[in-house]
Amino acid sequence: MADELVMPRLSDTMERGTVARWIKHEGDLVASGDVVAEIETDKATMEYQSDLDGTILAILVADGETAELGAPIAIVGEPGEAITPRPAADHTSVTAPVGASSAPATPRVTTAPVKASPIARRIAEESGVDLRELAGRGSGPDGRVVRTDVERLIARAGRREELPPPRAVAPVAPPAEAEVVDATRIQTVIARRMSEAKATVPHFYLTAEIDMTRAMTTRAELNAALAATGEKVSVNDLIVRACGLALHDNRQFHRSWIGGKVAYHPHANVGIAVALDDGLIVPVIREVERKTLRQVASEARDLAKRARTGQLRQPEIEGGTFTVSNLGMFGVAHFAAIINPPEPGILAVGATIERAVPVAGSIAIRPIMNLTLSADHRSSSGADGARFLQSVQRYLEAPILLVG
Amino acid sequence: MADVTYREALRLALDEELARDPNVFLMGEEIGRFEGSYKVTAGLWKKWGPKRVRETPISEEGFVGAGVGAAMLGLRPVVEIMTVNFILVAMDMVVNHAAKVSQMFGGKVKVPMVIRTPGGAGAQLTAQHSQSLEVFFAHTPGLKVVSPASPADAYGLLKSAIRDDDPVLFMENLVLYNLTGPLDTTAGDGAIPIGVAKVVREGGDITIVSHSYTVRRCLTVADRLAQSGIEAEVIDLRSLRPLDVDTVIESVRKTSRCLVAEEGWATFGISAEIAARVHRACFDDLDAPVERVGSAEVPMPYAKSLELAAMPLEEKIEAAARGLLAECGVL
Repeated sequence: MADELVMPRLSDTMERGTVARWIKHEGDLVASGDVVAEIETDKATMEYQSDLDGTILAILVADGETAELGAPIAIVGEPGEAITPRPAADHTSVTAPVGASSAPATPRVTTAPVKASPIARRIAEESGVDLRELAGRGSGPDGRVVRTDVERLIARAGRREELPPPRAVAPVAPPAEAEVVDATRIQTVIARRMSEAKATVPHFYLTAEIDMTRAMTTRAELNAALAATGEKVSVNDLIVRACGLALHDNRQFHRSWIGGKVAYHPHANVGIAVALDDGLIVPVIREVERKTLRQVASEARDLAKRARTGQLRQPEIEGGTFTVSNLGMFGVAHFAAIINPPEPGILAVGATIERAVPVAGSIAIRPIMNLTLSADHRSSSGADGARFLQSVQRYLEAPILLVG
Repeated sequence: MADVTYREALRLALDEELARDPNVFLMGEEIGRFEGSYKVTAGLWKKWGPKRVRETPISEEGFVGAGVGAAMLGLRPVVEIMTVNFILVAMDMVVNHAAKVSQMFGGKVKVPMVIRTPGGAGAQLTAQHSQSLEVFFAHTPGLKVVSPASPADAYGLLKSAIRDDDPVLFMENLVLYNLTGPLDTTAGDGAIPIGVAKVVREGGDITIVSHSYTVRRCLTVADRLAQSGIEAEVIDLRSLRPLDVDTVIESVRKTSRCLVAEEGWATFGISAEIAARVHRACFDDLDAPVERVGSAEVPMPYAKSLELAAMPLEEKIEAAARGLLAECGVL
């Protein structure tokens, strides 16, 4: 009996995927678990493993083509079996057209039953949510719409209602002389996530000046000792390690506000913002509190390198509990960054600049670095954030603790 | 409040009931001079003598039948079957007599008898001695079945079982005998009503239902899930017949996800019953079908590696919980 391979959900935020290339082709035998294709999501390119056994009878979405989540992309069955491939476009038409609900007197025409769990149906009905918006795109088996999908949809809808209505202005047309191109997937995701973050997360900001004298000495000593191995520790590695330890020390800061609950993070998974040619990506170093400074440095270097060549795997850009964003290399003295929800905060790192500072009653020239913490005021108070920042400062000003 | 073992809690309850009611007596193989194969009756023969603590030959059908007769005539026998596996030769006495006599005599005769017996696996006792057969009795109208998972529940439920006018199968578990837990013997007499489940851990993300030793495993699983930010509610059924399904329903209405784990075989098992009732009562509350975990559907193998593979250990329960949560887009 022929069955369909469908466009899988490979990231939380993807809504459609592109077949980068088929590895198996029509006529090839596949077993469950075989990699059949590479799929480009909004964030990364990932391998797609078949969950079916049989022969690929037809490929419905060719290399480079895009399909909605849950849409069939290939048919698998017995050789010679008669198949009637359902065109991929059929699937997308299940989604209700925007504005369809504005004519309540007209009975709705359902094109296909939506597969949803009973509680998802009940919550949708009670909240007046149209389940067809989620048809085939749920997080359950075979795209079954489940409770969290509906709750997320309601949360989004709620947020839309809270926002002031858009001002009635003519749509902004790009200036005639501008060159207009389609946004890349990464740009689209950044635009959406950053707008959501700024609109829904109440940020507060704390800045501290760090005396980097000892950190710079420690780093120089380390790098001299490591010269033969080719390893190198950067200022950013010191900061990431300091954040990992400080997050671990400050449980009351290291927690996220998620759907009305407070989630405490057992491990410090620190993301490092890596600038791309056009955009950015945030690979995550896991369990930083358990790793040595050298491990952090070598992982950071590997992740940053693969980030720039587009070779990160999905799990490497998920699960962060904090982010470090460093613009020091551009000479930026200080800045405030936007939180990547649901993380509790993000640390903006400025350049280390020699400054005249009072030391023991006289003026000394010291390398000073500004750190600005953006924190989510739903998960932490100003004092929680301040204690965390103070920990970071303590580790950076006594850097022996970072290697100890 | 002192910490006692499950075994001591049972012995305390027996001792106190022997003191409270002269109609109570114990009967079973090697429970006197030898103090029981698992030492639950330690010291009782010395204290109460051979009339109240009766030693029997190896003759389960005979002494279970004697228990039924004694109970019909007004005594309160507490019969020990060395392990549940040996009750099979006495099934006629349990199912056709103990369970039915009262109803067939129009309620004029009662059978206030307790049969205490341990089940469970994990000690390489192989196929015939590693079973959890409580479902046979939970299936049978006319019987009551309890299966405590903690010393305090063992103590309190045994007291209630002895005082109950119906025949009660009191299902113990070999691994539980050495488990320690708090027992407060100062507040009242400690009897715990039969037919009331207990929420032993509160949580809002998934309901995990079990009984007997499996409850301990589920609590460990709940701790592991908590490390992933999942709060599991763990329910100890305590009684299998009557079954307190309301406590389970109330929990599932809150969590919308339900996993049932048992040491018996899941096919036609306790978990099948719970799943059926939850699907009926909570259909509109469920986010995914009820998931079940039981022992592998084979006679228990002897080889240690195979025995471990067949049992519903923490890893299997955790994997089932995570699978269920993944089906619901959580985790």
